[in-house]
Amino acid sequence: MARYAMVIDTRRCIGCHSCTVACKVHNELPVDMIYNSVTTVGPTGIYPDLHMYNVPTLCMHCANAPCVDACPTGASQKREDGVVFIEDKKCVGCQACIMACPYGARVQNHATGAAQKCDFCKDRLDVGKKPHCVNTCHQKARIFGDLDDETSEVYKLVHGENSARLLGELNTEPYVFYIY
Amino acid sequence: MKNKHEGWGWMLAVDFFFAGMGGGMLVIAGIVELFIGEGRISLVGNLLGPVFMCIGCIFLVFELGRPFQSWRVFMNPKAILTVGAWIMSIAIVVGLAYASFGLNPAWFGMEKLFWQDWNGVRKVLSVVCLVTGLVVATYPGVLLSRHKCRPFWVGPGMITLFLLSSLVTGVAAQFLSGLVLPPVAVPGVMQALPALAGGLLFFQLIIWIGYIWVKRTGGTEAEAASAQRWIDGDISASFKSIVLLLGTLVPLILLLQSSLVAQAVGALLVLVGGVSIRCLVVRAGSDRTWLPGEQKYKNRLPFGDEAFLKAWNK
Amino acid sequence: MSKNIDLEQEGIEVKKSACYFCHQNCGVLAYVKDGKVLDIEGDPEFPTNQGGLCCRGNIALDHLDHPARINYPLKRVGKRGEGKWEQIPWDQAIQEIGVKISKIRDEFGAEAVATAGGTQRTDDWARRRFMNQFGSPNGFHNSHLCWIPTFMVETAIYGWCPFELDMGNSRCLVLWGQNPGAAGMPEMHHISALQAKGMKVIVIDPRFSETAAKADLWLPLRPGSDLALALAWINVIIYDGLFDQEFVANSCEGFGELADHVEEFTPEWAAPLTWLTPEQIREGAYMYAMNKPGNIQWGTSVDQIGKPAGSTMHARAILRAITGNLDVPGADLLTGPSPDFITDEEMEANDQLSELQKTKQIGSERFKLVTWPGYSRIAEETRKVWGKAPTAEWMCEAHPPSVFRAILTEKPYPVKALLVNATNPINSYGETKLVMEALQAVDFMVTCDYWMTPTASLSDYVLPVAGALERPTITSTYGCSDFLLASQRAIQPMYERRNDYNFWRDLGMAVGQKDQWPWETVEDAYYHRIAPLGYDVSSYDEFVDRYRFHFPEREYSKYERQGFATPSGKVELYSTVLKDLGYPPLPPYIGPTENEVDHPVLAKEFPLVLTTGGGFMPYHHSEHFQIKDLRFLKHEPYMDINPATAAELSIEEGDWVWIETKRGRIKQKANLTQGIHPRVVYTQRGWWYPEREINMPELGGCLESNANILTSSADEDCDPYSGAWANRGLLCKVYKVEASDLKGEN
Ligand SMILES: Nc1nc2c(c(=O)[nH]1)N[C@H]1C(S)=C(S)[C@@H](COP(=O)(O)OP(=O)(O)OC[C@H]3O[C@@H](n4cnc5c(=O)[nH]c(N)nc54)[C@H](O)[C@@H]3O)O[C@H]1N2
Ligand SMILES: Nc1nc2c(c(=O)[nH]1)N[C@H]1C(S)=C(S)[C@@H](COP(=O)(O)OP(=O)(O)OC[C@H]3O[C@@H](n4cnc5c(=O)[nH]c(N)nc54)[C@H](O)[C@@H]3O)O[C@H]1N2
Ligand code: SF4
Ligand code: SF4
Ligand code: SF4
Ligand code: SF4
Ligand code: SF4
Ligand SMILES: [Mo]
Repeated sequence: MARYAMVIDTRRCIGCHSCTVACKVHNELPVDMIYNSVTTVGPTGIYPDLHMYNVPTLCMHCANAPCVDACPTGASQKREDGVVFIEDKKCVGCQACIMACPYGARVQNHATGAAQKCDFCKDRLDVGKKPHCVNTCHQKARIFGDLDDETSEVYKLVHGENSARLLGELNTEPYVFYIY
Repeated sequence: MKNKHEGWGWMLAVDFFFAGMGGGMLVIAGIVELFIGEGRISLVGNLLGPVFMCIGCIFLVFELGRPFQSWRVFMNPKAILTVGAWIMSIAIVVGLAYASFGLNPAWFGMEKLFWQDWNGVRKVLSVVCLVTGLVVATYPGVLLSRHKCRPFWVGPGMITLFLLSSLVTGVAAQFLSGLVLPPVAVPGVMQALPALAGGLLFFQLIIWIGYIWVKRTGGTEAEAASAQRWIDGDISASFKSIVLLLGTLVPLILLLQSSLVAQAVGALLVLVGGVSIRCLVVRAGSDRTWLPGEQKYKNRLPFGDEAFLKAWNK
Repeated sequence: MSKNIDLEQEGIEVKKSACYFCHQNCGVLAYVKDGKVLDIEGDPEFPTNQGGLCCRGNIALDHLDHPARINYPLKRVGKRGEGKWEQIPWDQAIQEIGVKISKIRDEFGAEAVATAGGTQRTDDWARRRFMNQFGSPNGFHNSHLCWIPTFMVETAIYGWCPFELDMGNSRCLVLWGQNPGAAGMPEMHHISALQAKGMKVIVIDPRFSETAAKADLWLPLRPGSDLALALAWINVIIYDGLFDQEFVANSCEGFGELADHVEEFTPEWAAPLTWLTPEQIREGAYMYAMNKPGNIQWGTSVDQIGKPAGSTMHARAILRAITGNLDVPGADLLTGPSPDFITDEEMEANDQLSELQKTKQIGSERFKLVTWPGYSRIAEETRKVWGKAPTAEWMCEAHPPSVFRAILTEKPYPVKALLVNATNPINSYGETKLVMEALQAVDFMVTCDYWMTPTASLSDYVLPVAGALERPTITSTYGCSDFLLASQRAIQPMYERRNDYNFWRDLGMAVGQKDQWPWETVEDAYYHRIAPLGYDVSSYDEFVDRYRFHFPEREYSKYERQGFATPSGKVELYSTVLKDLGYPPLPPYIGPTENEVDHPVLAKEFPLVLTTGGGFMPYHHSEHFQIKDLRFLKHEPYMDINPATAAELSIEEGDWVWIETKRGRIKQKANLTQGIHPRVVYTQRGWWYPEREINMPELGGCLESNANILTSSADEDCDPYSGAWANRGLLCKVYKVEASDLKGEN
């Protein structure tokens, strides 16, 4: 079984938001819903000694996912390959998962009442394709793959230098990694 | 739009209020029953406890995105929400069953209601009332305190605060109920309630101040920032004027008066304070431990009333 | 779109189409069934985007059938700009337009009919083909702001203009007023990859842009002061002995004169003009000259600095030459036009325009470089060496601001009709108030566009145009590259949309150009163009299906074989072509269009330096503000200002502020950022509010936040060589919008 992970190379990301739009369009999200925002930090420092970088986010597909634990209906689930997803028909829209997610990855769809979030494009994974946001990134700043496969690019990046997770102190064990 | 899709709103706070108050009332009913004497507490209060919890449930259901599927919340025993749902259901049923012992058979044109002699059952029920009531009263605090990513909620402090507030609103509600339909044997209990409420209120005030102070100074940066909202941020005005002044200090004074009217008004204000504090606490949960750059990003997104959002509909 | 669409279903065809929301033309795979596009994605096999698509590329289907699209020909029935239209058949529209412009030609001469274009978006050679036969020299684009002057200056000096980078072998890349991190995405990833392998990147930009944030050296110069920097670099490279002695000795003319000319332009001289330190200037010059081979990327900024633009282009070209960074591996390549396929220029029928009509081209007596005088002179040289000429529909144009003024003043003669195709001049041309007056004053106006833009709404006819998925596309860098990328249409045009090509063809036929348009469809015309390449295909579509690209084998140092396409056959550092045209043969120093040294009085009232524009995601100029998924990300205009300056002006983050120049004022919201010099402000470009009424007087709020209200196209502010006007390096002031003004007009 694979263990899917995404690596985001912040050295490459230019904050273009293409991943956001690709995800919205292909997942047919309402205008005001976003699965994968891209934030910008900076410029920090004082002109002209400055730094700036971008932080693309999405569901972190936490190994220790508080959203799954919080879900009273069992709609929030984790697959064996690590993909955390919501089974829409079981969701009552209680928002417990939204409150429990430390990454702001979940949003409520006001048309359907249900919670929604990035599911790593699992339908595409199942037919051997990569997520939309990965394909669309001109910068190839989003790298997707199987972390159990030691030859994979994600494996090398995650086990190389300068790899970090967001909010590591919460012990959620995200499977989205950042290279800085 | 900025936070529209994220998180609980006022209906959940109102649920917390009613459920907590109901729980508090059950606790008092149980204590009085077990340690002071049968029938020494208002029947209205005993009935209202579970009824309030039901009202809380209704709010909870309508807070759901899909209210008509609310039965599903009983499905995942590992989720604290499921546990809460079960316990609250039990508390309601048991509370009503217990209250039924106080019903006047004459109202039903009967000489007696057959189960009202079952003393053992009555005792067991009152123990269950006490326990489940306590759980329901504490539960919202437990639920919130487990949110590691919500800096204002996280930590055991929330549990104490919710328990206290549930109890104080429970006491106030029992007192008010007692005014409507006094218990058969009044002495002691009714008179003690205002003082009890006053004492709890005072204690609660101290804990609140302590809580905010600890958050402000003792925790992470995010916790400090979340506390700052109460001190001089967007929450502070409501907190100070409604919760502290109207919901705590004024009732504190009124409850210690001897006039029944003043006490009643004080008790009502306690309820106002109780519902307000919950609304504020839920609102404070919109603070997450923000990711880098997240707040600036969110601040620039549309509110939701922008003209372009309404244009070009097919 | 794809979530609920099964792309494996039967009957789906995959078309190799393109995105044309900017001229990168990323390759797109379109999944088509029953004449409908079900889904699109980036084509992983396309050499530039390699499967990537930017924000705009992703919303193609939203764009394709957006409720606000114009789908039928419209004829005005109310007053101009009143918003009352009647839907009419195409043939009627073409007939009536043809009659009207023929009448104008009869009465005022063909030159009284002008056409306005924007950035390259469509088959503009067809427009030129139409105009040449019609007899008018007055076609123009705002390409004056966008590479064209650079192309002509550089071609004057070394016979073609480099745009093809040989980056894989480069060791240093200078991004001169260019920000691929927001404006040239498919290019940016190459840069990031090569940087990781050690290539140095220098960014010359007053703003800490997406790209500057990744640079090895960021040179935040005063906007519009690029010339002082370029001259100082030449000085350092020559006087510190960093130049390529061999190349200069063998291949350049005028080095001695140049050395004398730049002697005074030391880094110490340039420092106060550029607001950089002499050390920063030296560091940049050394980095570029010592890391060879290297590239200097064209960025549109230098085209937009107005008065000093031409001289700056000359100086920048000299830098490439004296470092030997021309046409060698890893450096800027002079590909020349394709000898193999039929170029845009060859499709234009330029020989059909009489010499007499050429002399009437508006602006050509003052701004000679990109009008017939300069174009003919330069084309003569390129033909000798390359056998071909640059595309006239870009490199040889009427001077737009002068045409707008001619409409208003009838000087030098009346201009009565304006055919607007693929541009929104109210938002994109300089000095909006002038443009507005001209558009309202012109007798007859037709606009071909996707949307009811502010410009379209002032027209007599608005015609619905087919977009990238509905037409084939050949990508060849304004018709000047030796390679081409070919894409096919995914579907036939929806509703009653037509291709721009067909508009010009139909109109041409309606005014008597019957035999001149043998190609009925765009594909026919394209097949004609690629046929000489000799692929075994029988149609254009087949070429796309089977080959898609044509990349000739790359030959370096072609000058060793054929010389440079200049009168001397060498790189003319001292340019005889410029001299012949009456321009200085060496680049003189000219201060920024408006500056504190030459205009102290103005600088008192307008103490801050303004730069407008710079592409930003997700928009393309004045486009895509209707696409909700994009608008949601950035729904309001922002200007950059340093927090220290903002504090002095009591401006806080997110406040609406006025930005005002001598010419007018606009409002945008304040973005407080350290990424800009305390005395510089930057405004976004393109803004209008299509969700509002697009009729007079509201006109989609196009006067509210539109940076071009601030810019100048006065003759004296234009580049004397090309006439390019001034968007960057102007003087302005900034102040808070009072609460009472927030809903009011300006
Ligand atoms: N202040 C300031 N002004 C600038 C700039 C700046 O940086 N600052 N940048 C300048 C630059 S570099 C450029 S290139 C220009 C761009 O200027 P323009 O090219 O005029 O750009 P737009 O304003 O987007 O107008 C293009 C119009 O063409 C329509 N369109 C798009 N594709 C097609 C097509 O295939 N056919 C037809 N018929 N219509 C089409 C679009 O809907 C849109 O309304 O702006 C220049 N103006
Ligand atoms: N997102 C997006 N992408 C686009 C476009 C778009 O509208 N939006 N337009 C397309 C078109 S037509 C073009 S021409 C290209 C243009 O793309 P580029 O050549 O990259 O030009 P700009 O983005 O206009 O400006 C580049 C940088 O110049 C800086 N600058 C401003 N003033 C000066 C100055 O005086 N001197 C110097 N050295 N730098 C200065 C700005 O801060 C900006 O970061 O982008 C294309 N791509
Ligand atoms: S598409 Fe790539 S470069 Fe653009 S914001 Fe997303 S991750 Fe960053
Ligand atoms: S990021 Fe949030 S939604 Fe995703 S798995 Fe982790 S906790 Fe759950
Ligand atoms: S909103 Fe849906 S997915 Fe989330 S916890 Fe509630 S039921 Fe589960
Ligand atoms: S993996 Fe798929 S669902 Fe998740 S952010 Fe990327 S595109 Fe969206
Ligand atoms: S708009 Fe974006 S996707 Fe389209 S061609 Fe330009 S860079 Fe490529
Ligand atoms: Mo451009």
